[in-house]
Amino acid sequence: MRSTICEYSMFEFFKNSRKLLGMNSRNLEFIRPFNRAKAKRLADNKMRSKRVLKKNGISVSKLIATIKTIEDLENFDWQKLPNSFALKPNRGFGGEGIVVVYGKKKGRDDAWVKADRSLITIEDLVSHIRNILDGSFSLSNTPDFAFFEERLQLLKLFKPYSYKGIPDIRVIVFNKIPVMAMLRLPTKESGGKANLHQGAIGVGIDLATGVTTTAIQNNRLIEKIPGTQLSTSGLRIPYWKDILFLATKAQEISGLGYLGADIAIDKENGPTILELNARPGLAIQVANLAGLAERLKRVSGIKIKTVEKGVRVGMDLFGGEIEEELEEISGRKVIGTVEKVKITGKNGKEVEVEARIDTGAGISAISKELAIELGFDEAVRYWEEFNLDKVLSEEEIQKLSANKTWKELEKHPDIVGVAKTYSAHGATYRIEIKVSLLIDNLAVLSKLSISNRSGLAYPILIGRRDLNKFLIDVKK
Amino acid sequence: MELNISPIIHFFTNEGVPIETIILLLMLPIIATFIAFLRQVVGIKAFGIYTPLIITFAFLATNGLRYGVAIFLAVIFIGMLMRFVMKPFRLLYLPRVAIMLTIVSLTILVMLVLGGNQRRTGLASVSIFPILIMITLVEKFVAVQIEKGNKTALILAFETLIISIFGFYIASWKPLIEILIGYPWLILLTIPMNIVIGKWTGLRISEYFRFRHIIKQL
Repeated sequence: MRSTICEYSMFEFFKNSRKLLGMNSRNLEFIRPFNRAKAKRLADNKMRSKRVLKKNGISVSKLIATIKTIEDLENFDWQKLPNSFALKPNRGFGGEGIVVVYGKKKGRDDAWVKADRSLITIEDLVSHIRNILDGSFSLSNTPDFAFFEERLQLLKLFKPYSYKGIPDIRVIVFNKIPVMAMLRLPTKESGGKANLHQGAIGVGIDLATGVTTTAIQNNRLIEKIPGTQLSTSGLRIPYWKDILFLATKAQEISGLGYLGADIAIDKENGPTILELNARPGLAIQVANLAGLAERLKRVSGIKIKTVEKGVRVGMDLFGGEIEEELEEISGRKVIGTVEKVKITGKNGKEVEVEARIDTGAGISAISKELAIELGFDEAVRYWEEFNLDKVLSEEEIQKLSANKTWKELEKHPDIVGVAKTYSAHGATYRIEIKVSLLIDNLAVLSKLSISNRSGLAYPILIGRRDLNKFLIDVKK
Repeated sequence: MELNISPIIHFFTNEGVPIETIILLLMLPIIATFIAFLRQVVGIKAFGIYTPLIITFAFLATNGLRYGVAIFLAVIFIGMLMRFVMKPFRLLYLPRVAIMLTIVSLTILVMLVLGGNQRRTGLASVSIFPILIMITLVEKFVAVQIEKGNKTALILAFETLIISIFGFYIASWKPLIEILIGYPWLILLTIPMNIVIGKWTGLRISEYFRFRHIIKQL
């Protein structure tokens, strides 16, 4: 009896192990055929990949200065460095050779403070850059460049979870589909670096929701951040869809068929690509308690035309079904036909008003007066210059469309779109502005069309486009 | 027992190639295949293929395994020690390795003298060639030390030592030598064997170990 159980579990063991991606398979079946030498060279060259990504409209941390030769180093103007920055070797790997400073030492012009509060002087930096130029940190010790870039600012949300450094998110993308992701949290043991084999924590992420699941440190499962009571699971990573989008877009641009994109979230600029990895490691499988081989097999051969589609497929295939269902059932809030809404306009201006919830309307509308109050006075004035602030006939609207008036209108930075409405009272040609709405404590990023609502009871009307997350109870 | 010698081996020796050299050259592909197998199927990394291979041959050329191992350990020990000694000087790579090589050669010289003094003539009479091979290990060791840290360098050095010791026993295994002398063509079989190893996409044994906790939960 015992032996049959044993055989069964051995069989299970080997069957399950086939879901895992090993080094041999990664190299032979994914890196070799899908990551061409040219693309690999791009990924290994941080400055060049930064440039290429930036040119394609992808957010990267800003380059401050580069040092390519000893002469550059000797002539370098140290006073032009900002108070905080990161110094990196161009071809470094595994986070080696990176120096991050957080501020200038008070009262000194030649010293900065590092994460561990120790000082680093210009003299130290010179000697470190010499080592970089000499190739001490580069792949196979070839001579290298050093560069300074802006330091990313830690998001408040992550503060209790990470020790000193900034956490990052590794996303594996294959065939334009994100297949697995992991949050890497720097720890005391890792010296503030988000590097797993130095002792950082790897946290698995549900691809559909961006919520953390299981976590590992030093190849062992953990449930709490060491030294705290913070659970490693259940953390919702902000900008989740943007992060997947960024990673997938980076795969398309870099030409790396099998990519590990490292993304950090900057307090001001949001998701930012840190670096591209042509040979991403296998530990992500342990953090997620999931096999990559199985996932890669599922997505290979699917024809994906756009990045958006790829992200959607990845989210659908590799998201936890239970959580999704829960959201379907209980995640939607029930609201009435009139609700208190908090609107955040330009420059953080907040106004609370009663809004009409109207499922008969497609798009949401806001009165001119309220829009002005929210700081969109310039946009309103610009619109008024076109003399469109009135009821128009259908012919007039068609003429406006033919003249591409919307193009002219959208030149204003606050005008994000133009809406045409037709009703029994006639047609209107409205401009749209972007605001954030808080409806029953749920944030909705909305495009509101500005209209003349004088004589109506509510200065704002919420239409179907912004009501996806709600159920409407007419008796409420 | 009559030793079966292949005609081609006869031909080689008649042309003046020493039989020891022939055996070493025939052993080389076998040891190389063994190392490739250990890397791809078992998952032992060591310092690539060249270093364990050449260390194996250095062991074969020293008088007995223990002197070879002693020199190996001395080299690694000094590599470790010198890292701490040289750290405050902040030297560039090549001068740093040059100083390390100097210390290593001096240490080995002292070891040989001590060996002679203790009447361990075996150590003192080790030829210079395997000693030089061993010294080249320093550069490999230092390179990994800089890139991946002390711990990884030590692990890889240990793996190299183990592989080389196994290689030593394989290459000095009498029945294998007899087979090779009798049927030298057999070494061509290592080519298809390497093709199979080179196409192997399964998990390495070390990966079964690494993922053992999660395999049950997949």
